[in-house]
Amino acid sequence: MTATHDVAPGAGPKRSGTRRRRPLTFDRVSFMVVFLGLPLAIFVIFVISPFVQALYYSLTDWSGFSSGMNFVGFDNYVKLFHDDIFLRAVRNNVELAIVVPLVTIVLSLTLATLVTVGGSGTGTVRGLRNSGFYRIVSFFPYVIPAIVIGLIWAQVFTPGSGILDAVLSKIGLSGFANYAWLGDARTAMPASMFVMIWGGVGFYMVLFIAAIRGIDPEVFEAARIDGAGRFRTAIFLTIPLIRDNVQTAYIYLGIAALDAFVYMQALNPGGGPQNTTLVMPQQLFTTAFTKGQFGYSTAMGVILAAVTMLFALLVFLVNRLTGGSDRKVKVRR
Amino acid sequence: MSETSKFGRRSLLKGSLAAAAVLPLSGTLASCASSGNSNSNSSSGGTKSDSNPFGMADKSTVDAVIFNGGYGYDYVSFAANIAQQKQSGSTFKVAPSTQIAQQLQPRFVGGNPPDLIDNSGANQIGFNTILDQLETLDDVFEAKNYEGTKIADTLYAGVKAPGTFGDKFVAINYVLTLYGLWYSDSLFKANGWEPPKTYEDLLALGAKAKAKGKYLFVWGKEAATYYQTLAVDSAIKEGGDPVRLSLGNLEADCWSKPEIQGVFKAMETMVKSGYFVPGGAGTQFTAAQAKWSNDQQAILYPSGSWIENEMKKATKAGFDMKGIPEPTLTANSKLPYAALRSAAGEPYIVPSKGKNVAGGKELLRAMLSKDAATNFSKTRLAPTIVKGLVPADGFGSTALQSQTQMLDAAGTDVFDYQFVNLYGTNPDQLVVWNSFLSGQTDAAGLTKGLQQITDKVRNDSSVKKIPVTK
Repeated sequence: MTATHDVAPGAGPKRSGTRRRRPLTFDRVSFMVVFLGLPLAIFVIFVISPFVQALYYSLTDWSGFSSGMNFVGFDNYVKLFHDDIFLRAVRNNVELAIVVPLVTIVLSLTLATLVTVGGSGTGTVRGLRNSGFYRIVSFFPYVIPAIVIGLIWAQVFTPGSGILDAVLSKIGLSGFANYAWLGDARTAMPASMFVMIWGGVGFYMVLFIAAIRGIDPEVFEAARIDGAGRFRTAIFLTIPLIRDNVQTAYIYLGIAALDAFVYMQALNPGGGPQNTTLVMPQQLFTTAFTKGQFGYSTAMGVILAAVTMLFALLVFLVNRLTGGSDRKVKVRR
Repeated sequence: MSETSKFGRRSLLKGSLAAAAVLPLSGTLASCASSGNSNSNSSSGGTKSDSNPFGMADKSTVDAVIFNGGYGYDYVSFAANIAQQKQSGSTFKVAPSTQIAQQLQPRFVGGNPPDLIDNSGANQIGFNTILDQLETLDDVFEAKNYEGTKIADTLYAGVKAPGTFGDKFVAINYVLTLYGLWYSDSLFKANGWEPPKTYEDLLALGAKAKAKGKYLFVWGKEAATYYQTLAVDSAIKEGGDPVRLSLGNLEADCWSKPEIQGVFKAMETMVKSGYFVPGGAGTQFTAAQAKWSNDQQAILYPSGSWIENEMKKATKAGFDMKGIPEPTLTANSKLPYAALRSAAGEPYIVPSKGKNVAGGKELLRAMLSKDAATNFSKTRLAPTIVKGLVPADGFGSTALQSQTQMLDAAGTDVFDYQFVNLYGTNPDQLVVWNSFLSGQTDAAGLTKGLQQITDKVRNDSSVKKIPVTK
């Protein structure tokens, strides 16, 4: 146990250049190679180098089908910012990244609260009766692969023969007999968002349930004794306590919304009416493979990566500015 | 924690997490990154003779990748079996693919493409991107077939045109496709309807269908541009070559020509009169087509001759499918009513960098033999470019019979154009056509939208243009 004596945090002297070096024994070297070197090598080869390559290809006019290409500088990026169809796709992606995470989180938080602390107002704090059943039912959609969800809902939305139009006509709403939910510019995007949210709520509900279960039940009981209702408890107690989980969920959902390729390709492979459901990865895909402009579509990929990172940064920043870390410390201590 | 060093383990881990978030994005494209350029052209080998016109090496392997779409790919395996008997000792490998561009892109970049490719389907490789990597195929047409006749003499006229880009003949389109309007002969007879010849007839027929509670046309979201094909073909029949050349050369204002505008206006009237089954922009195209072939909600459908095979399982019994040429705008058009857009489809290409170029061509020769071509027509109910192999009874198919009649009636009045596939503009055009057919834009909006798409390609200096001269 000689090697661990200087690990105790805060106990030792401040680190400086004179820090004692431990001898390089075989154990230490092999440990570093396997647990540090190997992952790092894999990371550099499969993550960093493709990314650098992608950056380079986005500055060329590579057609994708030959090994020759010319360096064209930032031409592709200039073209991108004048490409109305791509800008439309960016706008759609941003809309998705705002609406989908927000609605999914509100819905799944509500459900999670109901099945954990929303039950009877007397006795121990617990969820609604039969909450186990609701948990399982709402997890169902997440078990189905995204592509299947997309295809099922595409059938439901089909005008004329789809279930939705049939049900709406049956309950007496005329005008919906042949309504194209995915074919009308007004409804295509909301309908697609609905499908994405439907597919995601179950998983995030389970995530939040786990987080809420991690809170000491006494805190809830104390709140109840102080006279807080269920809604106040949820807003002022549950949410601040599981703030980190909400942030993680927001970032995950945002990245999923910035991609959205699978859902959109299943629901509206052509980009929807007037391109209202076209997303960046779809446009990237057609530009590369239908039009044979790999350089240009790589530039789209770089923009997509930049937008994604910007999104993650924004979420962190908002969390920090609204006092995320401060409050966490206050609650924990 | 006394974390004084600026870049500790934690920062490293944080950084790698951030980079890992980017992984799925960067991976998509960069994984197709181009590798070295190894030119291993080893097509040398056998001596050329009438029985081995391309000098295929003895006991060599031929690698073919075939688009597995509406026609399947087993007809190529059938031809490969014939070739295997002729070139004993050699192996012909036939592999299916539904994503030609995605699967073959790395092989093109890596310099080891297959020897024969059926470059077809929604994910076909744009010809303008690989043109300089393809073998010219003139020698295949000059060679003698397995029956001893020169192949060029056994084919329909004009089959070279769709595979020729600029002055380079690089693709043999195997299946003869003709475009027309398709209808149920039994339904028309029962109602006493006449197949329409002009847009006036078409509008009149629409009114008659409406009286019977039926629609004139139906469309699906992925196939809205079938109406673009109909409109462009009709306009070309009306105005002749000038219309075709101006579209093919992406001219400014090419969509504003009076012939095209006349057709667009007539279509606008049809949309406004409710002659289209509503909701097409939200309907998957085969589901939409079934509303014509099975439910008979719509009475006509503009499509290529693949339609019979495609809808085989969703066609009403006793439908008696027949095709007629696309209508002309007026009765005194430049090209006669019988004129057809007929193009051979399923383009077969032989990459120059393939390991066995001669073998790829040999497999093509086998496909153009009488046995292989007859097998295709018989099992797929579509004619190949080899003429005279479909009997008068069309193997029992009324649609195939009508195809033979249409081809005979058209004679030399056959035309084709390729600007849509060449520049890959179909996805953009679909959007505009879906809006138009669902009544959200009018003819003027349609024209503006299509012209914008054309102008964008014309003004993009990074897209290689292939001029059309004849």
